Amino acid sequence: MGSEITTGEIVVSGLTKHYKEVKAVDGLSFTVKPGRVTGFLGPNGAGKTTTLRMLLNLVTPTAGTATIGGRRYADLTEPMTSVGAILEASSAHRGRTGRNHLRVICAAAGLPASLADEVLELVGLTPAATRKFKGYSLGMRQRLGIAAALLGNPQVLILDEPANGLDPEGIRWMRDLLQKLAGEGRTILVSSHLLSEMELLADDIIIIAAGRLVAQGALGDVVGNIGDVGQVRVRTPKPDELIAALEGATVTRETDGALLVTGPNAAAVGETALRAGVALHELVTERPDLEQVFLELTAGKEAIR
Amino acid sequence: MRLVRSEFLKIRTTNVWWLFVLGTFGLWAVSFFFNALQAHFVLNPPDEGIDPDQAATFAAMAKPAAMTAFLATSGQFFGLMFVLLLGILTVTNEFYHQTATTTFLATPHRTAVIVAKTAAASVFGVLLWALTTALSIAGTVIFLNIEGAEIALGDSAVIRSILLNLLAFGLWALIGVGFGVLIRSQIGATVTALVIYLVGTIAVSIIVQLLFLWLKQDWIQQIQWGMPSIASGLLVSGVDLPNQPHYWVGGLVLLAWAAVTGIIGTMITRTRDIS
Repeated sequence: MGSEITTGEIVVSGLTKHYKEVKAVDGLSFTVKPGRVTGFLGPNGAGKTTTLRMLLNLVTPTAGTATIGGRRYADLTEPMTSVGAILEASSAHRGRTGRNHLRVICAAAGLPASLADEVLELVGLTPAATRKFKGYSLGMRQRLGIAAALLGNPQVLILDEPANGLDPEGIRWMRDLLQKLAGEGRTILVSSHLLSEMELLADDIIIIAAGRLVAQGALGDVVGNIGDVGQVRVRTPKPDELIAALEGATVTRETDGALLVTGPNAAAVGETALRAGVALHELVTERPDLEQVFLELTAGKEAIR
Repeated sequence: MRLVRSEFLKIRTTNVWWLFVLGTFGLWAVSFFFNALQAHFVLNPPDEGIDPDQAATFAAMAKPAAMTAFLATSGQFFGLMFVLLLGILTVTNEFYHQTATTTFLATPHRTAVIVAKTAAASVFGVLLWALTTALSIAGTVIFLNIEGAEIALGDSAVIRSILLNLLAFGLWALIGVGFGVLIRSQIGATVTALVIYLVGTIAVSIIVQLLFLWLKQDWIQQIQWGMPSIASGLLVSGVDLPNQPHYWVGGLVLLAWAAVTGIIGTMITRTRDIS
Protein backbone atom coordinates (compact mmCIF):
# COMPACT_ATOMS: atom_id res chain seq x y z
CA MET A 1 0.00 0.00 0.00
CA GLY A 2 2.44 2.61 -1.18
CA SER A 3 -0.02 5.44 -1.01
CA GLU A 4 0.30 9.10 -0.15
CA ILE A 5 -2.19 8.95 2.69
CA THR A 6 -1.06 7.65 6.07
CA THR A 7 -4.46 6.73 7.47
CA GLY A 8 -7.49 5.44 5.63
CA GLU A 9 -9.98 7.32 7.78
CA ILE A 10 -12.83 8.92 5.86
CA VAL A 11 -14.28 12.07 7.40
CA VAL A 12 -17.44 13.64 6.05
CA SER A 13 -18.36 16.94 7.67
CA GLY A 14 -21.46 19.03 7.06
CA LEU A 15 -21.65 17.70 3.52
CA THR A 16 -24.50 19.27 1.57
CA LYS A 17 -25.66 19.08 -2.03
CA HIS A 18 -28.61 21.07 -3.31
CA TYR A 19 -30.00 20.58 -6.75
CA LYS A 20 -32.43 23.30 -7.82
CA GLU A 21 -35.34 22.38 -5.52
CA VAL A 22 -34.00 19.24 -3.92
CA LYS A 23 -31.68 18.84 -0.94
CA ALA A 24 -30.07 15.57 -2.02
CA VAL A 25 -27.63 15.60 0.89
CA ASP A 26 -28.27 17.86 3.85
CA GLY A 27 -25.54 18.59 6.39
CA LEU A 28 -24.28 15.01 6.54
CA SER A 29 -21.41 14.15 8.92
CA PHE A 30 -19.85 10.79 9.71
CA THR A 31 -16.50 9.03 9.98
CA VAL A 32 -15.40 5.69 8.59
CA LYS A 33 -12.62 3.79 10.36
CA PRO A 34 -9.85 1.73 8.78
CA GLY A 35 -9.70 -2.03 9.23
CA ARG A 36 -13.46 -2.41 9.21
CA VAL A 37 -16.21 -2.91 6.68
CA THR A 38 -18.67 -0.02 6.98
CA GLY A 39 -22.13 -0.37 5.49
CA PHE A 40 -23.66 2.81 4.11
CA LEU A 41 -27.40 2.25 4.20
CA GLY A 42 -30.44 4.14 3.12
CA PRO A 43 -33.54 3.77 1.03
CA ASN A 44 -33.32 4.55 -2.67
CA GLY A 45 -33.00 8.29 -3.18
CA ALA A 46 -31.56 8.87 0.29
CA GLY A 47 -28.42 10.49 -1.13
CA LYS A 48 -25.96 7.59 -0.83
CA THR A 49 -24.60 7.82 -4.37
CA THR A 50 -24.41 11.62 -4.29
CA THR A 51 -22.46 11.44 -1.03
CA LEU A 52 -19.97 8.92 -2.44
CA ARG A 53 -19.57 11.00 -5.61
CA MET A 54 -18.84 14.12 -3.58
CA LEU A 55 -16.27 12.13 -1.61
CA LEU A 56 -14.58 11.27 -4.93
CA ASN A 57 -14.65 14.78 -6.45
CA LEU A 58 -17.13 13.75 -9.14
CA VAL A 59 -19.87 15.98 -7.77
CA THR A 60 -19.12 19.40 -6.29
CA PRO A 61 -20.64 19.88 -2.81
CA THR A 62 -22.82 22.91 -2.13
CA ALA A 63 -21.25 23.03 1.34
CA GLY A 64 -19.16 20.94 3.68
CA THR A 65 -16.09 18.78 3.21
CA ALA A 66 -15.24 15.16 2.60
CA THR A 67 -11.70 13.88 3.13
CA ILE A 68 -9.89 10.57 2.88
CA GLY A 69 -6.88 10.30 5.16
CA GLY A 70 -7.17 14.04 5.72
CA ARG A 71 -6.90 14.87 2.02
CA ARG A 72 -9.55 15.85 -0.50
CA TYR A 73 -9.70 13.37 -3.37
CA ALA A 74 -8.89 16.14 -5.87
CA ASP A 75 -5.68 16.89 -3.97
CA LEU A 76 -4.29 13.36 -4.30
CA THR A 77 -1.59 13.19 -6.96
CA GLU A 78 -1.83 9.40 -7.33
CA PRO A 79 -5.43 8.72 -6.28
CA MET A 80 -5.59 5.17 -7.61
CA THR A 81 -2.89 4.03 -5.18
CA SER A 82 -4.80 5.43 -2.20
CA VAL A 83 -8.45 4.98 -3.08
CA GLY A 84 -10.24 2.41 -5.21
CA ALA A 85 -13.88 2.96 -6.13
CA ILE A 86 -16.67 1.20 -7.96
CA LEU A 87 -19.62 3.43 -8.66
CA GLU A 88 -21.52 1.74 -11.44
CA ALA A 89 -21.49 -1.74 -12.89
CA SER A 90 -21.68 -1.02 -16.59
CA SER A 91 -18.77 1.32 -16.94
CA ALA A 92 -16.55 0.23 -19.80
CA HIS A 93 -16.64 0.82 -23.54
CA ARG A 94 -18.79 -1.95 -25.00
CA GLY A 95 -16.34 -2.65 -27.79
CA ARG A 96 -13.23 -2.85 -25.59
CA THR A 97 -11.96 -6.04 -23.95
CA GLY A 98 -11.82 -6.33 -20.18
CA ARG A 99 -8.02 -6.45 -20.20
CA ASN A 100 -7.72 -3.36 -22.42
CA HIS A 101 -10.20 -1.51 -20.20
CA LEU A 102 -7.87 -2.11 -17.26
CA ARG A 103 -4.76 -1.24 -19.29
CA VAL A 104 -6.27 2.13 -20.20
CA ILE A 105 -6.70 2.84 -16.48
CA CYS A 106 -3.17 1.60 -15.75
CA ALA A 107 -1.78 3.98 -18.35
CA ALA A 108 -3.71 6.93 -16.92
CA ALA A 109 -2.68 6.10 -13.35
CA GLY A 110 0.94 5.48 -14.27
CA LEU A 111 0.75 1.83 -13.18
CA PRO A 112 2.44 -1.02 -15.09
CA ALA A 113 0.15 -2.68 -17.64
CA SER A 114 0.97 -6.10 -16.20
CA LEU A 115 -1.21 -5.25 -13.18
CA ALA A 116 -4.25 -5.69 -15.42
CA ASP A 117 -3.66 -9.44 -15.66
CA GLU A 118 -2.96 -9.70 -11.94
CA VAL A 119 -6.26 -8.16 -10.86
CA LEU A 120 -8.17 -10.12 -13.51
CA GLU A 121 -6.77 -13.27 -11.91
CA LEU A 122 -7.72 -11.98 -8.47
CA VAL A 123 -11.39 -11.50 -9.42
CA GLY A 124 -11.54 -14.69 -11.49
CA LEU A 125 -11.97 -13.01 -14.86
CA THR A 126 -8.82 -14.33 -16.58
CA PRO A 127 -10.80 -16.55 -18.99
CA ALA A 128 -12.79 -13.49 -20.16
CA ALA A 129 -9.79 -11.12 -20.37
CA THR A 130 -9.82 -10.88 -24.18
CA ARG A 131 -13.58 -10.83 -24.55
CA LYS A 132 -15.37 -7.60 -25.32
CA PHE A 133 -17.23 -5.90 -22.51
CA LYS A 134 -20.60 -6.14 -24.28
CA GLY A 135 -20.43 -9.93 -23.86
CA TYR A 136 -20.00 -9.70 -20.08
CA SER A 137 -22.81 -10.69 -17.71
CA LEU A 138 -23.81 -8.23 -14.99
CA GLY A 139 -21.82 -10.28 -12.49
CA MET A 140 -18.72 -10.19 -14.69
CA ARG A 141 -19.09 -6.43 -15.11
CA GLN A 142 -19.23 -6.05 -11.36
CA ARG A 143 -16.07 -8.17 -11.01
CA LEU A 144 -14.33 -6.05 -13.64
CA GLY A 145 -15.27 -2.96 -11.65
CA ILE A 146 -13.76 -4.47 -8.51
CA ALA A 147 -10.65 -5.41 -10.50
CA ALA A 148 -10.30 -1.79 -11.67
CA ALA A 149 -10.68 -0.52 -8.11
CA LEU A 150 -7.95 -2.86 -6.86
CA LEU A 151 -5.40 -1.94 -9.58
CA GLY A 152 -3.50 0.52 -7.41
CA ASN A 153 -3.60 -1.71 -4.29
CA PRO A 154 -5.47 1.07 -2.47
CA GLN A 155 -5.77 1.56 1.26
CA VAL A 156 -9.36 2.71 0.94
CA LEU A 157 -12.09 0.97 -1.04
CA ILE A 158 -15.42 2.65 -1.80
CA LEU A 159 -18.17 0.59 -3.39
CA ASP A 160 -21.64 1.73 -4.47
CA GLU A 161 -24.15 -1.12 -4.45
CA PRO A 162 -21.55 -3.74 -5.42
CA ALA A 163 -23.91 -6.65 -4.82
CA ASN A 164 -26.28 -5.54 -7.57
CA GLY A 165 -26.42 -8.19 -10.27
CA LEU A 166 -24.29 -10.70 -8.42
CA ASP A 167 -25.63 -14.23 -7.94
CA PRO A 168 -25.55 -15.76 -4.44
CA GLU A 169 -22.17 -17.34 -5.12
CA GLY A 170 -20.85 -13.98 -6.35
CA ILE A 171 -22.17 -12.19 -3.27
CA ARG A 172 -20.45 -14.71 -1.00
CA TRP A 173 -17.23 -14.26 -2.98
CA MET A 174 -17.41 -10.49 -2.64
CA ARG A 175 -18.20 -10.70 1.06
CA ASP A 176 -15.15 -12.88 1.66
CA LEU A 177 -12.95 -10.59 -0.44
CA LEU A 178 -14.08 -7.39 1.32
CA GLN A 179 -13.71 -8.91 4.77
CA LYS A 180 -10.24 -10.16 3.85
CA LEU A 181 -9.28 -6.67 2.61
CA ALA A 182 -10.63 -5.07 5.79
CA GLY A 183 -8.65 -7.64 7.78
CA GLU A 184 -5.51 -6.30 6.12
CA GLY A 185 -6.25 -2.92 7.71
CA ARG A 186 -7.96 -1.28 4.76
CA THR A 187 -10.99 0.98 4.97
CA ILE A 188 -14.02 -0.50 3.21
CA LEU A 189 -17.11 1.66 2.66
CA VAL A 190 -19.98 -0.17 0.97
CA SER A 191 -23.32 1.35 0.15
CA SER A 192 -26.34 -0.87 -0.14
CA HIS A 193 -30.04 -1.11 0.26
CA LEU A 194 -29.70 -4.89 0.72
CA LEU A 195 -29.92 -4.94 4.48
CA SER A 196 -29.69 -8.68 4.89
CA GLU A 197 -26.38 -8.59 3.04
CA MET A 198 -25.07 -5.84 5.32
CA GLU A 199 -25.88 -7.85 8.42
CA LEU A 200 -23.46 -10.51 7.22
CA LEU A 201 -20.84 -8.15 5.84
CA ALA A 202 -20.56 -4.96 7.86
CA ASP A 203 -18.77 -4.24 11.13
CA ASP A 204 -20.09 -0.68 11.34
CA ILE A 205 -23.12 0.88 9.72
CA ILE A 206 -24.16 4.37 8.76
CA ILE A 207 -27.83 4.88 8.02
CA ILE A 208 -29.09 7.91 6.14
CA ALA A 209 -32.52 8.96 4.95
CA ALA A 210 -33.58 12.04 3.01
CA GLY A 211 -29.95 13.15 2.89
CA ARG A 212 -29.50 13.19 6.67
CA LEU A 213 -27.73 10.94 9.15
CA VAL A 214 -30.10 8.65 11.03
CA ALA A 215 -27.75 6.35 12.88
CA GLN A 216 -24.07 5.48 13.00
CA GLY A 217 -22.02 2.94 14.94
CA ALA A 218 -21.05 -0.68 15.29
CA LEU A 219 -23.61 -2.99 13.72
CA GLY A 220 -24.47 -4.64 17.06
CA ASP A 221 -24.89 -1.31 18.82
CA VAL A 222 -27.13 0.21 16.21
CA VAL A 223 -29.27 -2.90 16.02
CA GLY A 224 -29.24 -3.40 19.79
CA ASN A 225 -29.84 0.17 20.95
CA ILE A 226 -32.62 1.08 18.69
CA GLY A 227 -35.77 -0.87 18.10
CA ASP A 228 -37.40 -3.38 20.43
CA VAL A 229 -34.64 -4.81 22.56
CA GLY A 230 -34.70 -8.17 24.31
CA GLN A 231 -37.84 -9.87 23.18
CA VAL A 232 -37.80 -13.51 24.26
CA ARG A 233 -39.91 -16.19 22.66
CA VAL A 234 -40.94 -18.99 25.04
CA ARG A 235 -42.93 -22.15 24.53
CA THR A 236 -44.26 -24.04 27.51
CA PRO A 237 -47.08 -26.49 28.33
CA LYS A 238 -48.07 -24.24 31.28
CA PRO A 239 -48.25 -20.72 29.86
CA ASP A 240 -50.52 -19.29 32.55
CA GLU A 241 -48.18 -20.30 35.38
CA LEU A 242 -45.19 -18.82 33.58
CA ILE A 243 -47.01 -15.54 32.98
CA ALA A 244 -47.85 -15.38 36.67
CA ALA A 245 -44.23 -16.07 37.61
CA LEU A 246 -42.91 -13.37 35.22
CA GLU A 247 -44.04 -10.42 37.29
CA GLY A 248 -43.40 -7.01 35.80
CA ALA A 249 -42.72 -8.29 32.30
CA THR A 250 -44.97 -7.67 29.33
CA VAL A 251 -46.09 -10.93 27.82
CA THR A 252 -48.09 -11.38 24.68
CA ARG A 253 -49.53 -14.65 23.40
CA GLU A 254 -48.76 -15.59 19.85
CA THR A 255 -51.41 -17.37 17.78
CA ASP A 256 -49.31 -20.54 17.69
CA GLY A 257 -49.30 -20.72 21.52
CA ALA A 258 -45.84 -19.28 22.06
CA LEU A 259 -45.28 -16.37 24.46
CA LEU A 260 -43.40 -13.19 23.55
CA VAL A 261 -41.75 -11.71 26.66
CA THR A 262 -40.51 -8.13 26.70
CA GLY A 263 -38.28 -6.96 29.57
CA PRO A 264 -36.15 -9.77 31.04
CA ASN A 265 -33.56 -11.46 28.87
CA ALA A 266 -33.55 -15.17 28.00
CA ALA A 267 -31.45 -16.15 31.02
CA ALA A 268 -33.81 -14.38 33.43
CA VAL A 269 -36.85 -16.00 31.82
CA GLY A 270 -35.21 -19.45 32.10
CA GLU A 271 -34.35 -18.99 35.78
CA THR A 272 -37.84 -17.72 36.58
CA ALA A 273 -39.30 -20.77 34.88
CA LEU A 274 -37.02 -23.10 36.88
CA ARG A 275 -38.01 -21.53 40.19
CA ALA A 276 -41.69 -21.77 39.24
CA GLY A 277 -41.24 -25.38 38.22
CA VAL A 278 -42.45 -24.73 34.69
CA ALA A 279 -40.94 -26.78 31.86
CA LEU A 280 -39.76 -24.90 28.80
CA HIS A 281 -39.91 -26.35 25.31
CA GLU A 282 -38.40 -23.39 23.54
CA LEU A 283 -36.42 -20.33 24.65
CA VAL A 284 -35.18 -17.95 21.97
CA THR A 285 -33.95 -14.35 21.99
CA GLU A 286 -35.66 -12.50 19.17
CA ARG A 287 -33.09 -9.98 17.95
CA PRO A 288 -34.62 -7.29 15.82
CA ASP A 289 -32.93 -7.63 12.45
CA LEU A 290 -31.42 -4.76 10.58
CA GLU A 291 -34.39 -4.65 8.28
CA GLN A 292 -36.74 -3.87 11.16
CA VAL A 293 -34.41 -1.30 12.66
CA PHE A 294 -33.91 0.26 9.29
CA LEU A 295 -37.60 0.56 8.53
CA GLU A 296 -38.23 1.95 12.00
CA LEU A 297 -35.45 4.52 11.68
CA THR A 298 -36.34 5.70 8.25
CA ALA A 299 -40.09 5.59 8.66
CA GLY A 300 -41.74 8.94 8.15
CA LYS A 301 -38.77 10.35 6.25
CA GLU A 302 -39.72 10.94 2.70
CA ALA A 303 -37.60 8.52 0.75
CA ILE A 304 -38.23 9.80 -2.73
CA ARG A 305 -37.92 13.45 -3.47
CA MET B 1 2.24 12.23 -20.98
CA ARG B 2 0.81 9.06 -19.46
CA LEU B 3 -2.66 10.57 -19.88
CA VAL B 4 -2.05 11.01 -23.59
CA ARG B 5 -0.88 7.36 -23.75
CA SER B 6 -4.05 6.30 -21.95
CA GLU B 7 -6.26 8.33 -24.28
CA PHE B 8 -4.48 7.03 -27.35
CA LEU B 9 -4.84 3.48 -26.01
CA LYS B 10 -8.57 4.15 -25.77
CA ILE B 11 -8.64 5.03 -29.46
CA ARG B 12 -6.50 2.05 -30.37
CA THR B 13 -8.51 -0.56 -28.44
CA THR B 14 -11.84 -0.13 -30.22
CA ASN B 15 -12.93 -0.52 -33.82
CA VAL B 16 -13.29 3.18 -34.47
CA TRP B 17 -9.73 3.88 -35.61
CA TRP B 18 -9.59 1.44 -38.50
CA LEU B 19 -13.14 2.26 -39.59
CA PHE B 20 -12.09 5.91 -39.75
CA VAL B 21 -8.90 5.03 -41.64
CA LEU B 22 -10.95 3.03 -44.14
CA GLY B 23 -13.47 5.86 -44.47
CA THR B 24 -10.72 8.42 -44.96
CA PHE B 25 -9.07 6.24 -47.60
CA GLY B 26 -12.33 5.69 -49.50
CA LEU B 27 -13.33 9.35 -49.47
CA TRP B 28 -9.77 10.41 -50.29
CA ALA B 29 -10.00 8.31 -53.47
CA VAL B 30 -13.27 10.00 -54.42
CA SER B 31 -11.87 13.47 -53.63
CA PHE B 32 -8.69 12.88 -55.58
CA PHE B 33 -10.66 11.68 -58.59
CA PHE B 34 -12.76 14.84 -58.69
CA ASN B 35 -9.78 17.10 -57.97
CA ALA B 36 -7.94 15.44 -60.86
CA LEU B 37 -10.95 16.03 -63.11
CA GLN B 38 -11.01 19.71 -62.16
CA ALA B 39 -7.23 19.94 -62.59
CA HIS B 40 -7.51 18.42 -66.02
CA PHE B 41 -10.08 21.09 -66.93
CA VAL B 42 -7.91 23.89 -65.54
CA LEU B 43 -4.79 22.62 -67.31
CA ASN B 44 -6.68 22.29 -70.61
CA PRO B 45 -9.08 25.26 -70.59
CA PRO B 46 -11.55 25.58 -73.46
CA ASP B 47 -10.50 28.32 -75.90
CA GLU B 48 -13.65 30.40 -75.59
CA GLY B 49 -16.70 30.89 -73.40
CA ILE B 50 -14.83 31.88 -70.26
CA ASP B 51 -15.27 35.30 -68.74
CA PRO B 52 -12.08 37.21 -67.93
CA ASP B 53 -12.48 36.86 -64.12
CA GLN B 54 -12.69 33.10 -64.34
CA ALA B 55 -9.83 32.99 -66.79
CA ALA B 56 -7.63 34.84 -64.29
CA THR B 57 -8.51 32.32 -61.59
CA PHE B 58 -7.78 29.45 -63.95
CA ALA B 59 -4.42 30.94 -64.90
CA ALA B 60 -3.50 31.35 -61.23
CA MET B 61 -4.55 27.78 -60.44
CA ALA B 62 -2.68 26.34 -63.40
CA LYS B 63 0.66 27.63 -62.12
CA PRO B 64 2.77 24.61 -61.11
CA ALA B 65 2.94 25.50 -57.41
CA ALA B 66 -0.79 26.16 -57.07
CA MET B 67 -1.69 23.03 -59.03
CA THR B 68 0.67 20.78 -57.08
CA ALA B 69 -0.52 22.18 -53.75
CA PHE B 70 -4.15 21.78 -54.80
CA LEU B 71 -3.70 18.11 -55.68
CA ALA B 72 -1.28 17.22 -52.87
CA THR B 73 -3.79 18.31 -50.22
CA SER B 74 -6.61 16.23 -51.72
CA GLY B 75 -8.84 14.42 -49.27
CA GLN B 76 -8.52 17.22 -46.74
CA PHE B 77 -12.25 17.92 -46.52
CA PHE B 78 -13.25 14.39 -45.55
CA GLY B 79 -10.07 13.68 -43.63
CA LEU B 80 -10.80 16.67 -41.39
CA MET B 81 -14.35 15.40 -40.99
CA PHE B 82 -13.04 12.15 -39.52
CA VAL B 83 -10.65 14.01 -37.24
CA LEU B 84 -13.59 16.15 -36.08
CA LEU B 85 -15.67 13.02 -35.45
CA LEU B 86 -12.87 11.33 -33.56
CA GLY B 87 -12.36 14.40 -31.39
CA ILE B 88 -16.08 14.35 -30.58
CA LEU B 89 -16.09 10.61 -29.85
CA THR B 90 -13.16 10.79 -27.43
CA VAL B 91 -15.40 12.91 -25.20
CA THR B 92 -18.92 11.61 -25.84
CA ASN B 93 -17.83 7.96 -25.54
CA GLU B 94 -17.05 8.65 -21.90
CA PHE B 95 -20.64 9.58 -21.24
CA TYR B 96 -22.24 7.13 -23.68
CA HIS B 97 -20.38 4.20 -22.11
CA GLN B 98 -20.39 5.73 -18.61
CA THR B 99 -16.62 5.64 -18.38
CA ALA B 100 -16.29 9.30 -17.35
CA THR B 101 -16.41 8.19 -13.71
CA THR B 102 -13.49 5.79 -14.17
CA THR B 103 -11.51 8.38 -16.13
CA PHE B 104 -11.96 11.14 -13.57
CA LEU B 105 -11.26 8.77 -10.67
CA ALA B 106 -7.90 7.92 -12.21
CA THR B 107 -7.25 11.62 -12.86
CA PRO B 108 -9.22 14.13 -10.77
CA HIS B 109 -7.61 16.95 -12.77
CA ARG B 110 -10.13 17.32 -15.52
CA THR B 111 -8.33 19.98 -17.53
CA ALA B 112 -5.42 17.57 -17.91
CA VAL B 113 -7.82 14.92 -19.21
CA ILE B 114 -9.26 17.29 -21.83
CA VAL B 115 -5.77 18.35 -22.90
CA ALA B 116 -4.75 14.69 -23.18
CA LYS B 117 -7.84 13.89 -25.24
CA THR B 118 -7.02 16.75 -27.58
CA ALA B 119 -3.42 15.60 -27.89
CA ALA B 120 -4.41 11.97 -28.57
CA ALA B 121 -7.00 12.98 -31.16
CA SER B 122 -4.41 15.30 -32.77
CA VAL B 123 -1.92 12.42 -32.96
CA PHE B 124 -4.59 10.41 -34.74
CA GLY B 125 -5.24 13.42 -36.99
CA VAL B 126 -1.53 13.59 -37.83
CA LEU B 127 -1.59 9.91 -38.79
CA LEU B 128 -4.57 10.54 -41.08
CA TRP B 129 -2.71 13.51 -42.55
CA ALA B 130 0.32 11.28 -43.22
CA LEU B 131 -1.91 8.72 -44.92
CA THR B 132 -3.77 11.17 -47.17
CA THR B 133 -0.63 13.17 -47.91
CA ALA B 134 1.37 10.09 -48.94
CA LEU B 135 -1.47 8.96 -51.21
CA SER B 136 -1.99 12.45 -52.62
CA ILE B 137 1.69 13.04 -53.40
CA ALA B 138 1.93 9.70 -55.19
CA GLY B 139 -1.29 10.44 -57.08
CA THR B 140 -0.18 13.98 -57.91
CA VAL B 141 3.14 12.83 -59.38
CA ILE B 142 1.42 10.18 -61.51
CA PHE B 143 -1.38 12.51 -62.66
CA LEU B 144 0.80 15.50 -63.54
CA ASN B 145 3.17 13.20 -65.42
CA ILE B 146 0.29 11.94 -67.50
CA GLU B 147 -0.88 15.54 -68.11
CA GLY B 148 2.65 16.50 -69.02
CA ALA B 149 2.48 19.38 -66.51
CA GLU B 150 5.26 20.60 -64.27
CA ILE B 151 5.44 19.07 -60.79
CA ALA B 152 6.46 21.60 -58.15
CA LEU B 153 6.73 19.42 -55.04
CA GLY B 154 9.94 21.17 -53.99
CA ASP B 155 8.36 24.63 -54.21
CA SER B 156 8.29 26.34 -50.83
CA ALA B 157 4.62 27.27 -51.30
CA VAL B 158 3.71 23.62 -51.86
CA ILE B 159 5.65 22.42 -48.83
CA ARG B 160 4.01 25.18 -46.82
CA SER B 161 0.58 24.02 -47.99
CA ILE B 162 1.27 20.42 -47.01
CA LEU B 163 2.56 21.46 -43.60
CA LEU B 164 -0.34 23.85 -43.03
CA ASN B 165 -2.60 20.94 -43.90
CA LEU B 166 -0.94 19.09 -41.01
CA LEU B 167 -1.78 22.02 -38.76
CA ALA B 168 -5.41 21.85 -39.93
CA PHE B 169 -5.62 18.15 -39.04
CA GLY B 170 -4.31 18.93 -35.56
CA LEU B 171 -6.59 21.92 -34.97
CA TRP B 172 -9.70 20.06 -36.05
CA ALA B 173 -9.11 17.49 -33.31
CA LEU B 174 -9.32 20.36 -30.82
CA ILE B 175 -12.52 21.67 -32.39
CA GLY B 176 -13.94 18.12 -32.19
CA VAL B 177 -13.09 17.73 -28.51
CA GLY B 178 -14.62 21.12 -27.75
CA PHE B 179 -17.74 20.18 -29.68
CA GLY B 180 -18.03 16.86 -27.83
CA VAL B 181 -17.90 18.65 -24.49
CA LEU B 182 -20.54 21.17 -25.53
CA ILE B 183 -22.96 18.48 -26.77
CA ARG B 184 -22.55 15.49 -24.48
CA SER B 185 -24.99 13.23 -26.31
CA GLN B 186 -23.08 10.94 -28.66
CA ILE B 187 -25.72 10.93 -31.37
CA GLY B 188 -26.59 14.59 -30.89
CA ALA B 189 -22.98 15.71 -31.17
CA THR B 190 -22.02 13.58 -34.18
CA VAL B 191 -25.18 14.35 -36.15
CA THR B 192 -24.98 18.09 -35.41
CA ALA B 193 -21.31 18.19 -36.35
CA LEU B 194 -21.88 16.26 -39.58
CA VAL B 195 -24.79 18.46 -40.59
CA ILE B 196 -22.84 21.64 -39.89
CA TYR B 197 -19.76 20.27 -41.62
CA LEU B 198 -21.38 18.82 -44.74
CA VAL B 199 -24.61 20.77 -45.24
CA GLY B 200 -23.52 23.89 -43.39
CA THR B 201 -20.43 24.38 -45.52
CA ILE B 202 -22.46 24.35 -48.72
CA ALA B 203 -25.30 26.35 -47.16
CA VAL B 204 -22.97 29.13 -46.00
CA SER B 205 -21.41 29.32 -49.48
CA ILE B 206 -24.82 29.57 -51.13
CA ILE B 207 -26.27 32.05 -48.63
CA VAL B 208 -23.20 34.27 -48.85
CA GLN B 209 -23.34 34.13 -52.65
CA LEU B 210 -27.05 35.04 -52.69
CA LEU B 211 -26.53 37.91 -50.23
CA PHE B 212 -23.68 39.14 -52.38
CA LEU B 213 -25.77 39.06 -55.56
CA TRP B 214 -28.54 40.91 -53.73
CA LEU B 215 -26.57 43.57 -51.84
CA LYS B 216 -23.50 43.81 -54.12
CA GLN B 217 -21.18 44.41 -51.16
CA ASP B 218 -17.69 42.91 -51.44
CA TRP B 219 -17.35 42.30 -47.69
CA ILE B 220 -20.27 39.85 -47.75
CA GLN B 221 -18.26 37.39 -49.78
CA GLN B 222 -15.59 37.45 -47.11
CA ILE B 223 -18.02 36.20 -44.41
CA GLN B 224 -17.76 32.63 -45.66
CA TRP B 225 -14.11 32.41 -44.56
CA GLY B 226 -15.37 32.45 -40.99
CA MET B 227 -16.81 28.97 -41.53
CA PRO B 228 -14.11 26.64 -40.20
CA SER B 229 -14.44 24.06 -42.99
CA ILE B 230 -14.03 26.74 -45.66
CA ALA B 231 -11.21 28.36 -43.68
CA SER B 232 -9.21 25.14 -43.67
CA GLY B 233 -9.47 24.97 -47.46
CA LEU B 234 -8.15 28.52 -47.64
CA LEU B 235 -5.30 27.66 -45.26
CA VAL B 236 -3.84 25.09 -47.65
CA SER B 237 -4.49 26.91 -50.93
CA GLY B 238 -0.75 27.59 -50.97
CA VAL B 239 -0.86 30.65 -53.16
CA ASP B 240 -3.15 33.64 -53.04
CA LEU B 241 -5.92 33.35 -55.59
CA PRO B 242 -7.85 36.43 -56.79
CA ASN B 243 -10.78 37.47 -54.54
CA GLN B 244 -9.43 35.46 -51.60
CA PRO B 245 -7.89 36.61 -48.33
CA HIS B 246 -4.33 35.55 -47.57
CA TYR B 247 -3.91 31.85 -46.73
CA TRP B 248 -2.92 32.57 -43.12
CA VAL B 249 -6.32 34.15 -42.45
CA GLY B 250 -7.71 30.60 -42.70
CA GLY B 251 -5.26 29.50 -40.02
CA LEU B 252 -6.31 32.33 -37.71
CA VAL B 253 -9.99 31.46 -38.17
CA LEU B 254 -9.30 27.81 -37.28
CA LEU B 255 -7.21 28.80 -34.27
CA ALA B 256 -10.02 31.07 -33.07
CA TRP B 257 -12.62 28.31 -33.38
CA ALA B 258 -10.36 25.77 -31.70
CA ALA B 259 -9.59 28.17 -28.85
CA VAL B 260 -13.21 29.12 -28.28
CA THR B 261 -14.61 25.56 -28.30
CA GLY B 262 -11.63 24.24 -26.34
CA ILE B 263 -11.76 26.88 -23.60
CA ILE B 264 -15.54 26.82 -23.20
CA GLY B 265 -15.51 23.01 -23.26
CA THR B 266 -12.80 22.78 -20.62
CA MET B 267 -14.52 25.27 -18.35
CA ILE B 268 -17.77 23.30 -18.56
CA THR B 269 -16.01 20.02 -17.87
CA ARG B 270 -14.20 21.37 -14.82
CA THR B 271 -17.39 22.25 -12.97
CA ARG B 272 -19.78 19.63 -14.30
CA ASP B 273 -21.14 16.99 -11.90
CA ILE B 274 -20.43 13.48 -13.11
CA SER B 275 -23.33 11.26 -12.15
